[in-house]
Amino acid sequence: MNGRLRGIVRGLVTYGLPPAIAFAVVIGAWEAYVSWRDVSILVVPAPSDVWERFVDDPGYFWEQGWWTLYEATLGLIFGTTVAVALAIVMAHSRPVERGLLPLAIAMKVTPLVAIGPVLIVIFGFGTTPKIFLAALLCFFPMLVNALTGFRDVDPGALEFMRSLRASPWSIFWKLRAPSSLPYVISALRITYPLALVGAVIAEWFTGNRGLGYVVYSAAQNLRTPELFSAIAVLALIGVAINIALSLLERRLLFWHESVRSTR
Amino acid sequence: MANETQHVRLHGLSHVFADGREPLRVFDDVSTGMPRGQFTSIIGPSGCGKSTLLRIVGGLLEPSAGEVRIDGARPRAAQRRHDIGIVFQEPALLPWRTVAANVRLPLEIDGARRRGTDVESLLDLVGLGEFRDYYPHQLSGGMRQRVAIARALAVDPALLLMDEPFGALDEITRTAMRYELLRIWASQAEAATRKTVLFVTHSITEAIVMSDRIVVINGRPGRIVADVAVELPRPRTQEIERSAPFLDYADHLRSLLVGAVA
Repeated sequence: MNGRLRGIVRGLVTYGLPPAIAFAVVIGAWEAYVSWRDVSILVVPAPSDVWERFVDDPGYFWEQGWWTLYEATLGLIFGTTVAVALAIVMAHSRPVERGLLPLAIAMKVTPLVAIGPVLIVIFGFGTTPKIFLAALLCFFPMLVNALTGFRDVDPGALEFMRSLRASPWSIFWKLRAPSSLPYVISALRITYPLALVGAVIAEWFTGNRGLGYVVYSAAQNLRTPELFSAIAVLALIGVAINIALSLLERRLLFWHESVRSTR
Repeated sequence: MANETQHVRLHGLSHVFADGREPLRVFDDVSTGMPRGQFTSIIGPSGCGKSTLLRIVGGLLEPSAGEVRIDGARPRAAQRRHDIGIVFQEPALLPWRTVAANVRLPLEIDGARRRGTDVESLLDLVGLGEFRDYYPHQLSGGMRQRVAIARALAVDPALLLMDEPFGALDEITRTAMRYELLRIWASQAEAATRKTVLFVTHSITEAIVMSDRIVVINGRPGRIVADVAVELPRPRTQEIERSAPFLDYADHLRSLLVGAVA
């Protein structure tokens, strides 16, 4: 075995084995409990029942999952774009910040999923209400993080640029935008899963596709193995998103201490 | 001294920080001038307003009273001409840029007069030629400060403002950097066209080693208590720190700084 391969194996054992064991213990306990107490499959199915349902027609779950991911991602892009654009304006104008921040906070403390039914009235039963709810949930964390990021610049670097009469435009692109990247990426770790929540909930209310719809209709009809399969796929999507964001973070923030300290 | 030889002039500068509970007068009625091509140090205890003074000269802060003239105009005009280079105590580099890209930053700023500054030779000058593609976090503190100096020199400014540039370095690096800076400063051009340097420090040794002239500020609010011409021959090497004239200057400065508010 060469050194590199040995390193990979050691990494897998060190970081992969403990969570694998924990996962196996939880699933095993669940399976054991269901068969020991003879829990009805209509209430809580055993993991093996869930697995059976999933492998029966995996394409169905992937296809529904794809819809949910699609809606969540469009919502994320939409919500993030508006939030970042607003943060740019707010970072350059205290009056705008003072005017808009209370509104944004009011939005934040409102349980936005309650808007779901209204969105159907406004946007109908198509994809739009799902994207909109996902975007709405993404909006506030991204706004606050981006705003903080645009302001959290090295004061010396800022003064240096000012001593050369750099324009706000050039200060923004050369200093503020890169400085905000760590904040924006950690916001994405919060907002992407939130977008997923928004899409799923909107699917409960309306529509005929997506994992939210699968969960809802399976629950209505007591097809619990199907319900749990859908939830498992949602969890997988969430994990995949997290891994993708970690990779993005390592690539973009190689210079930032949060990434350097984990090397 | 005839006025036209003064590169920088300060007229009755006072500054009050009014954002605290009580207005704080940091310095009062500071008037002096810096001849072109001279190395001037401002020395004083912490809190005497020397950093504030430097930021006012650099046009980063408006004084409460008085005015600054650089080549007879406001600091703003010098900023616009990219005629001011600043080095702070912290290198304040952009961590996502390589060494070379950090030095290039001022040349990318709108309205930059590309005076044919060659980033490569600038890096060679500060002794970082082999480190052009490194990132700041891969460098030592002294090397980062060399990058900051190269960055300040990139626009070839006539005026170099340095705010305790070696204050965050360890003693050994700090001593080496003093002579490095003198070498860099002397290499720039003939003595007559050298950069005017305004150097803020609270180290007596540093002030004597580097300067043609030392402005001593003391008290609260800070006032100029002495203006000492340092007549030691250049180029200066570390031996100078053991010479009799050096020690006389040190004693003199120490006596001027006695009674400094803690």
